Amino acid sequence: MKMKQVAFLFLIFLASQTVHSWKKDEFRACDQTPFCKRARFRKPGACTLIAHDVSISDGDLTAKLIPKAPHDQDQDQIKPLTLSVSVYQNGIMRLKIDEDPSLDPPKKRFQVADVVISEFETKKLWLQSASTEKINGDDGGLSSVVYLSDGYEAVLRHDPFEVYVREKAGNRRVVSLNSHGLFDFEQLRVKKEDEDWEERFRGHTDTRPYGPQSISFDVSFYGSDFVYGIPEHATSFALKPTRGPGVEESEPYRLFNLDVFEYLHESPFGIYGSIPFMVSHGKSGQSSGFFWLNAAEMQIDVLAKGWDAEGGILMPTEQSRIDTFWMSEAGIVDTFFFVGPGPKDVVKQYVSVTGLPAMPQLFSTGYHQCRWNYRDEEDVENVDSKFDEHDIPYDVLWLDIEHTDGKRYFTWDKMLFPHPEEMQRKLAAKGRHMVTIVDPHIKRDESFHLHKDASQRGYYVKDATGKDYDGWCWPGSSSYPDMLNPEIRSWWAEKFSYDNYVGSTPSLYIWNDMNEPSVFNGPEVTMPRDALHLGGVEHRELHNAYGYYFHMATAEGLLKRGDGKDRPFVLSRAFFAGSQRYGAVWTGDNSADWDHLRVSVPMVLTLGLTGMTFSGADVGGFFGNPEPELLVRWYQLGAYYPFFRGHAHHDTKRREPWLFGERNTALMRDAIRIRYTLLPYFYTLFREANVSGVPVVRPLWMEFPSDEVAFINDEAFMVGNSLLVQGIYTARAKHASVYLPGKESWYDLRTGTAYKGGKVHKLEVSEESIPAFQRAGTIVPRKDRFRRSSTQMLHDPYTLVIALNSSQAAEGELYVDDGKSYDFKHGAYIHRRFVFSNGHLTSSPVGNSRFSSDCIIERVILLGYTPGAKTALVEPGNQKTEIELGPLRFGGQHAAVAVTIRKPGVRVAEDWKIKIL
Amino acid sequence: MRVYSIFILFFIASFLPSSSSSSSSKHHFLGISPQDENYYKSSSDTISCKDGSKKFSKSQFNDDFCDCLDGTDEPGTSACPTAKFYCKNAGHIPQFLFSSRVNDGICDCCDGSDEYDGQVKCPNTCWEAGKVARDRLIKKIATYKEGAALRKLEVEKAKVAIAKEEAELTLLKNEEKVLKVRVRELKEHKELIEKEEEKVRLQKEMEEKGKREAEEDLKEKRKADKEGEVEHEKVEEEASTENQPTESTHDDIIGNVEDSSSKEVSLHASENTHESASPTTEDVSSVATEIADDAGSKMSPDVDKKENEVSSDVSEGMSREELGRIVASRWTGESTKNQGGNKDHADDSHEETPKNTHDEQYDHHATDTGVDTGKDDNEKYDYEIDDEQDESYEEESHDDMSSYNYDDEPDLSDTTSSYNSSWLEKIQQKARNILKAFNLFQTPVNLTEAATVRKEYVDSSTKLSKIQSRISKLKEKLKHDFGPEKEFYVFHGHCFETNQNKLRTSHCNSFVLLSLALKYRLRNISICFAFNNLDFWLQVCLQSVSVQTSFSRGGLHINQFGVGVLQNWDKFEESYRMMVFSNGENCWNGPDRSMKVKLRCGLKNEITDVDEPSRCEYVAVLSTPAVCLEDKLKELQHKLDLMNKEQPREHDEL
Repeated sequence: MKMKQVAFLFLIFLASQTVHSWKKDEFRACDQTPFCKRARFRKPGACTLIAHDVSISDGDLTAKLIPKAPHDQDQDQIKPLTLSVSVYQNGIMRLKIDEDPSLDPPKKRFQVADVVISEFETKKLWLQSASTEKINGDDGGLSSVVYLSDGYEAVLRHDPFEVYVREKAGNRRVVSLNSHGLFDFEQLRVKKEDEDWEERFRGHTDTRPYGPQSISFDVSFYGSDFVYGIPEHATSFALKPTRGPGVEESEPYRLFNLDVFEYLHESPFGIYGSIPFMVSHGKSGQSSGFFWLNAAEMQIDVLAKGWDAEGGILMPTEQSRIDTFWMSEAGIVDTFFFVGPGPKDVVKQYVSVTGLPAMPQLFSTGYHQCRWNYRDEEDVENVDSKFDEHDIPYDVLWLDIEHTDGKRYFTWDKMLFPHPEEMQRKLAAKGRHMVTIVDPHIKRDESFHLHKDASQRGYYVKDATGKDYDGWCWPGSSSYPDMLNPEIRSWWAEKFSYDNYVGSTPSLYIWNDMNEPSVFNGPEVTMPRDALHLGGVEHRELHNAYGYYFHMATAEGLLKRGDGKDRPFVLSRAFFAGSQRYGAVWTGDNSADWDHLRVSVPMVLTLGLTGMTFSGADVGGFFGNPEPELLVRWYQLGAYYPFFRGHAHHDTKRREPWLFGERNTALMRDAIRIRYTLLPYFYTLFREANVSGVPVVRPLWMEFPSDEVAFINDEAFMVGNSLLVQGIYTARAKHASVYLPGKESWYDLRTGTAYKGGKVHKLEVSEESIPAFQRAGTIVPRKDRFRRSSTQMLHDPYTLVIALNSSQAAEGELYVDDGKSYDFKHGAYIHRRFVFSNGHLTSSPVGNSRFSSDCIIERVILLGYTPGAKTALVEPGNQKTEIELGPLRFGGQHAAVAVTIRKPGVRVAEDWKIKIL
Repeated sequence: MRVYSIFILFFIASFLPSSSSSSSSKHHFLGISPQDENYYKSSSDTISCKDGSKKFSKSQFNDDFCDCLDGTDEPGTSACPTAKFYCKNAGHIPQFLFSSRVNDGICDCCDGSDEYDGQVKCPNTCWEAGKVARDRLIKKIATYKEGAALRKLEVEKAKVAIAKEEAELTLLKNEEKVLKVRVRELKEHKELIEKEEEKVRLQKEMEEKGKREAEEDLKEKRKADKEGEVEHEKVEEEASTENQPTESTHDDIIGNVEDSSSKEVSLHASENTHESASPTTEDVSSVATEIADDAGSKMSPDVDKKENEVSSDVSEGMSREELGRIVASRWTGESTKNQGGNKDHADDSHEETPKNTHDEQYDHHATDTGVDTGKDDNEKYDYEIDDEQDESYEEESHDDMSSYNYDDEPDLSDTTSSYNSSWLEKIQQKARNILKAFNLFQTPVNLTEAATVRKEYVDSSTKLSKIQSRISKLKEKLKHDFGPEKEFYVFHGHCFETNQNKLRTSHCNSFVLLSLALKYRLRNISICFAFNNLDFWLQVCLQSVSVQTSFSRGGLHINQFGVGVLQNWDKFEESYRMMVFSNGENCWNGPDRSMKVKLRCGLKNEITDVDEPSRCEYVAVLSTPAVCLEDKLKELQHKLDLMNKEQPREHDEL
């Protein structure tokens, strides 16, 4: 019996081992990808192109790139390339290199459309002239220099060609391209008879009718110690080198949107989304950025110091530097250089190109409850009522693919969900919302109106032969609308109207999954690269942006549905540069283990850094069953993700927060409630992101740019500029080492205990919470009433938590609007700045706002304030109010430790002053 | 500010001496339960927080600011998260609300008292709601009354029956002793006779072969060796015929498993059946169980593994569709076997119902579960049931393989039910007669007498094995937990059926259960459910019976066919309100199968609901009088009394 069990367990173990592993073989490694393999073999200095005919035209600095020795055998086919350097406000340089259209290339190379926002062009600075100079160290070569912004210049060196931006003062370089001569541009050409352009991978054949067309080049970041960005990878926040001394063997960071089953928690491999934007940061406290607008498969090497030791080009050595190597299968060079100099400046510069993050609806910043799948209306009702029974707030209940009639999106399973409208109304009566899933694969079923319509109109992506592409996904045989086409996006958007989406109500929002796109029987579980889009664009050229266009079309659909008045909420799995304009993303199908909990932080930080601030990981882990402790820790951490959703695979056990005993229920309730008390703060941060691009959740060095210890810290993160949070990533943790940056103190969110900044603190850890601190000198607005959902908090009073710095001062902000419409764009908001100094707390307006609210401040908590004062005077009105000791938090047994101004009763919408007497 | 004036009004009102008498509760404080009214009526200026942490002034009472961590000072507002708001709900049941519900814009109390800040107007619906609740309660009480009576009867019956069975057990044990002696004696005699017979035969042979004396010396020795063997063989033959009933059962099981080697095993095992049948049976059954287990449990992981190997193989040889299915199956955890290319969901799934898979791998279960929701499958289940018993009660259950039966099963009736003491005497008498008539040392052997002895021996040992079987059955049965008052005894060995047309679903399916046939025999030993569905056929049978599913994921036509065995009924939980079956076979990429059966008071024993809230975790609701407790009845009646007390006055007000 024993033996049998052991044997059986072993079998299960074996089975699970094979099941629970990333199918490495199914995905192409760099050396299986001809363009990548080839590019990686290139030696520094291999590029012999020089800039010719340098001139100013149409406000740009332009040139032709030609081989230095035009009669070289190998370079027979090289035609001149066009190069243009444009300059934009706020320190942005754009460099484009493409084939010369006047030389009649076989095909126009794809330039990604609809990512750069139209406002960006209005910020272009028209160059009038370039100066030419000989730069020290260059052996006689000339460079053309143009103005970039105050203190910065853009430089084009002619021979060999190199482009960079530099600080005027001291000629210090910031970011450069082709400094190592690795630039390569495979031009389109006519196939020779003996050539075989086809590529085969695991039974799939890519016809490659246009042959090789890849581009690669090196980019260097000066004054940098680390580079960050280029999501999406499950890996550390500071990008580890992938080539060079000390790197054993590594794939480059791959940007190729893929639906990877059970992705690894530490791998440079490409997953669901791609943003080819990299940020560097260094000891100087300065950052710079580089963005390549290209939607084809990209591979990026981060090169370890000394990689070019042998036979490289000598580079200025006085600056620390990070070199990177960028390779793409197709497209053009359309790159943006951001000069910074602060980390927030780089992010602002980036979003000025790709757009600001959308302002989310207030409800979507609360907690979301999801599972594959809540099976039927009864199940939905049950789960909903259990939240009430346990007094746990939540805002949104989600339905996965099984709610549909046979995976036909926009339909309902008639047996399971016979009354979708009534179901949504019941939720809406409690102020809650619902989200249903709509994926891009459309079931090839003649009786399905959507399919019939799409196929009759010719709206599907075509295969290499020109027929509707037929791939396999949840519904079985499926086709995919060609979202590159604006007409098709508009057609798609119409499908979300209440008339078209039968059973939808105004409280229903949308989830876009599988939009990489995922194709179960396609190469690497996606669409073949030779599939065809609008205007003969090959899928290879826009692959990474397919999900972006789909997300865009869906968000536009929700916008249309609400007559442009209701802010859309659309969660997408795939994303590209610019996706921040359309909604939220999450980190896909993670696993219920500690490593995945841990890696969720650098993943979310990276997304925030690259514009996608509204993001989060599935709380609890999608695959597998989390131990209750892991689940609790995940809730405690997830409460600080910008997007906070619990989700689970259908094979997992139910894991709603009340299923693990009273103690764990209480812990998860507390974690979720912390999020709800902080919603005013979060919403203010979302607004900050919406106007500046500065993410809700930030790396420590974004707030403390000169603090070197913070550069590689990705266990902790900042929520806004006021809170620091560190997850607990191990089981049964008793202690945690938390680094608190800066010179000022930090106050424990739970106890109010003060800790010195600039130090690693070894703290005791209890199961009750993860370490979280408020930075001295900040004011955080809260709402301390607990409700069923954010909707009922509308009229609740505020609490202000003031953490005083060493000079007994602090400041903070509060942003309030109606939480759902666009009226805020016309001034319908409240934006207050609170300043505490000299024992006075004042509220003054930011901007010109006109929005009313009957909300008052019910409590002001002062941390770091010497007790003693008994009363405060509230102006206007000159009313006296009491000061006493009160708890820092509610909801449990929390000691009265904090100096509390009781019931000042002032309105948030008005100017006022509270003087401590 | 309006909020405050309301508070003040309430406050003033509540502290007026005239209004504080509990009977005129119309003016009691907001959100305060009657028990707490006195607590706040302190004459001093300050009131203590109940947790003793602090004191608050009367002006701080219900002033919409939380002073006490335990919420003592704010029963009527949302200021303290831990506070509870009491709604009187005259005409219905009073209720405590979380403070999070106060003035949140949603009417929670039927009297609307939780919403007083003017954001929303809540009508008083207590009378209507109360009437509905009262009617429901009255009905429930009626059920409980009747159920409790039924329960009493059953408890009485159970007590009698158990006493009877205990008596029977004692008796049988005595008989077993006697019979054992008898059988041994008969056996010895039989062997003596046989020795004699053999001698006679040998002598005859020797005479016949006397002529070939030349070879004699050499061959004589060999013959002597052979004799032993021959004798041995004979005994074996006899033994196997003696154990006929046992054997046939074995054959069935082995047949199910379709493993010829196991047949050999069982034959081999029976060779040792000299002394008693029990150890043999134990061996066989455990072997059989093992085989059955292997067949059942090892299969699925193997299959899964294979599948994975396939999918990680280079996919060249695969059609696009197959590849799509296989990749999809990673997320869904479903087998990609037996998929038709049909586009119509309903059609192909119909064709793909488990049949094929049954044939391929799960014959064992297929024979059991086929389409047989009828009565004759009881026996079939019995085999599996016995496997199960052997596993979980290895020490006790020895020979129950031979024939597992219900109490009233006919073929035991001659040995047990209609048994009386004279029967034993008869046997003894008969044996004595035989012995008397048969002179052991008499030569030549009287052949007819020898046959009689043999027959008696066979008969007696058969009886013995039956008795032993019955004993172990009884032991087994009496060992069970029949509840604190043996109220669950009534289920033992009974089978109830119910058919439902309720639409039910599984989490990953859009299928419909067309009919739901439920069968269960509690404790003894299976609860069987048969779900029939267009593209889904699930049979859940507890305790050694199987779970078989065939999922069709909507249009994807991926079918999974998994056989699971729910091995143990673990225990009752929640003071006998729930039965928990666990340690079922592991689901692919999921948990071990398990089932909870919730017991609800009802007049009939029937399954009223079946569900699969999580993958391979089933929940059923069984209504039964066995849980219609008197205490609960009293509680309900008390509740009704309370409601009735509130009711008329409130009605007048309306």
